[in-house]
Amino acid sequence: MNRLPALILGGWALLALGGWILPLTPDAIGLERLFATPLSKGYLLGGDELGRSVAERLAAGGGISLLVAVLSVAFSAVLGTIIGMLAGYLGGWTDRVISRLIEVFLAFPGLLLAIALAAFLGPGIDNVVIALSAMGWVGYARLSRNQVLSLRHREHVLAAVALGRAPPAIMAYHLLPLLLAPLLVEASFGLASAVVAEAGLSFLGLGVQPPQASWGSMIREGVRYLLVAPHLVLVPGIALSLVVLAANTLGDGLRDRLDVTSRSRP
Amino acid sequence: MARLIRLLAILVLLSLGGCREGTSDALVFAVASSPSALHPLLATDAVSERINALLYRPLVDFDAADRPVPGVVRWQRIDDRHYRLALNGSPVPFADGSPVTLDDVAATLRTARDHPASPHAGTLKHIVQIRHEGDALRLNLSRPDPRLPERLHLGVAPASRLEEGGALARDPLGSGAFRFLGWQADGGVLLARRADGLKLRFAVVPDPTMRALKLLHGEAQLVQNDLPFEMVERLARDPAITLHETPGTTFSYLGFNLEDSVTGDRLVRQAIALAIDREAIVRHLFRGHTRLATTLLVPGHWAAHPGLAPWPHDPDRARALLAELGYGPQRPLRITYKTSTDPFRLRIAAVIQAQLAKVGIALTIRSHEWGTFFGDIKAGRFQMYSLSWVGIRSPDIYRHIFHSASLPPGGANRGRYRNPDVDALIERAERLPREQAVPLYRAIQERVHRDLVYVPLWHENNLLLSRGVGAVAPRRDGSYGFLEALEKK
Repeated sequence: MNRLPALILGGWALLALGGWILPLTPDAIGLERLFATPLSKGYLLGGDELGRSVAERLAAGGGISLLVAVLSVAFSAVLGTIIGMLAGYLGGWTDRVISRLIEVFLAFPGLLLAIALAAFLGPGIDNVVIALSAMGWVGYARLSRNQVLSLRHREHVLAAVALGRAPPAIMAYHLLPLLLAPLLVEASFGLASAVVAEAGLSFLGLGVQPPQASWGSMIREGVRYLLVAPHLVLVPGIALSLVVLAANTLGDGLRDRLDVTSRSRP
Repeated sequence: MARLIRLLAILVLLSLGGCREGTSDALVFAVASSPSALHPLLATDAVSERINALLYRPLVDFDAADRPVPGVVRWQRIDDRHYRLALNGSPVPFADGSPVTLDDVAATLRTARDHPASPHAGTLKHIVQIRHEGDALRLNLSRPDPRLPERLHLGVAPASRLEEGGALARDPLGSGAFRFLGWQADGGVLLARRADGLKLRFAVVPDPTMRALKLLHGEAQLVQNDLPFEMVERLARDPAITLHETPGTTFSYLGFNLEDSVTGDRLVRQAIALAIDREAIVRHLFRGHTRLATTLLVPGHWAAHPGLAPWPHDPDRARALLAELGYGPQRPLRITYKTSTDPFRLRIAAVIQAQLAKVGIALTIRSHEWGTFFGDIKAGRFQMYSLSWVGIRSPDIYRHIFHSASLPPGGANRGRYRNPDVDALIERAERLPREQAVPLYRAIQERVHRDLVYVPLWHENNLLLSRGVGAVAPRRDGSYGFLEALEKK
């Protein structure tokens, strides 16, 4: 049961790799193949409104969504973990300031802020990553702060303090390893959120710009031809749903597996 | 339970409040955009002009052969510089019951000639005097104009309302076949046919898929053009929907900024014209529902040049021209192409971009909302753009768009074309009767074609989809005149 999400995510990664490595031409216009249905005219998943291969655009879009998701999760996780650990370990006014900041960020809908930021920065993949990272760090910061608050009184940490180890070393070697499991779970959910957010921003025209393909922009363009070529929406829509569902399911599985308390129950 | 009933009652009241009085029995005509001004003399967008033609009766009308025929007025040519206009019988009164008078005709002419925003100002400025003379108006011209009646296709409005200025655009009053009932929340308008009270609502539905769905579900009875052709064919397969098609007069073109250092070069424009495969675009994107254009006037028009050869698709020659100009793989020619956000126009732009890329022209597409796009074009902030001329009937358009005295805002010479030969030809042609003016208009077309002020693209057919109505035939110019006799089933 747990293999299916991993397989889907593996397939996504392979699709993205294919998009990067293979000599595909997802932007090549073919007027003879406008709205070609799947499995016709040499097209596995059909052609779009400009006769471009939907399969090749799906691969190219998969690459974009993987790139954006991995980069934004990585940046968010690194930034959020550092900020959260500092708040939790140092305490005092540092903790108070960072906690208020986290609350301010949490008070706004994340996607709305990302849309505003992407609109402010302008369209493009780099700006999407910046916008999503600027909003995504909060979850990691809150999680790592709370974890550090409970871990800092453990014996091995107190021993390290007594031995005179510097705070950065304590955080890196004695606290971070214990944070990794919950951070990994958070990252798996963050991956799904980032994929949806990138698709949403591209759907709104704030992400990847034409003619470059992204799943969100493919859905946006396909909606106009829903009555004549539903595959233009169904193909990227199903791909997006599967990846998000798989990432969330994998996150659930990871949480169950890494949660010692739930495993010890009969 | 009482709370539930109260909630339901509130919901029912709210839904009733959302229904505008008197629109439920109206025929619904779904259009892509809202009319910007229902002023008969100042409107410049196609939807406004088409609705205005229903609300206002013209001074002079055209017959099927584009010959002027009496409308509200009949004319008498005293000589080429002097005309008399008299009311044509007893004109249909204005929708409020007041009669159409010569004062209204005079005010209509003065507004069309003098208003700073009037698109007719350029063609009427030679009318130096408009004065009453018995039961007629006398027009004195500063130069001979044997074809003045052709220029009087102007909707007549009450003098008192014209003097109010812009208010007429929001609260129109004319003597046309329909009367104005009110604006709708979506920016559309509700009209009533004066002959039988049939209500007609122009519903603004910007999204083409939504327009198609409304027609499919019977929420709209009429949709004309502005739909992807694949969708038109899909809708036409529905037994409840009928497709009517007529060749159109709308002329689509690629325009250039002739003051730009790149597109100002005729050889660059020639390379672009040779690189575009218009036949492929017509065959695949338009699915054959359009005709290739060589000039602004449709084939068969009395002033159209029948012998102009269309620019061929010759990518090799385009590459050679570019090489001659010093462009190549190391130094690609970069051009910015402005268009609207209309999805179909963007598709065409993408295809043109791909075709130009094959000869080494790197085209950057910039799409803007209509207001920004049109503002940029009028202000000359472009290198290349695409637009259409709608409802062209008279070669008078040449003064408006190619004469060097017609630069915006006074005219529509948006490419800043300056050719003294063409100016002289336009001025001479305007002074001659039709038969004698034909060779001059053909000479103008030859020069404009050679200079590639525009790359002529196509004349789009008019496609009308209807359901629940009697037989209709869309007009060549895309106007809504067929609504005057339309029957609701």
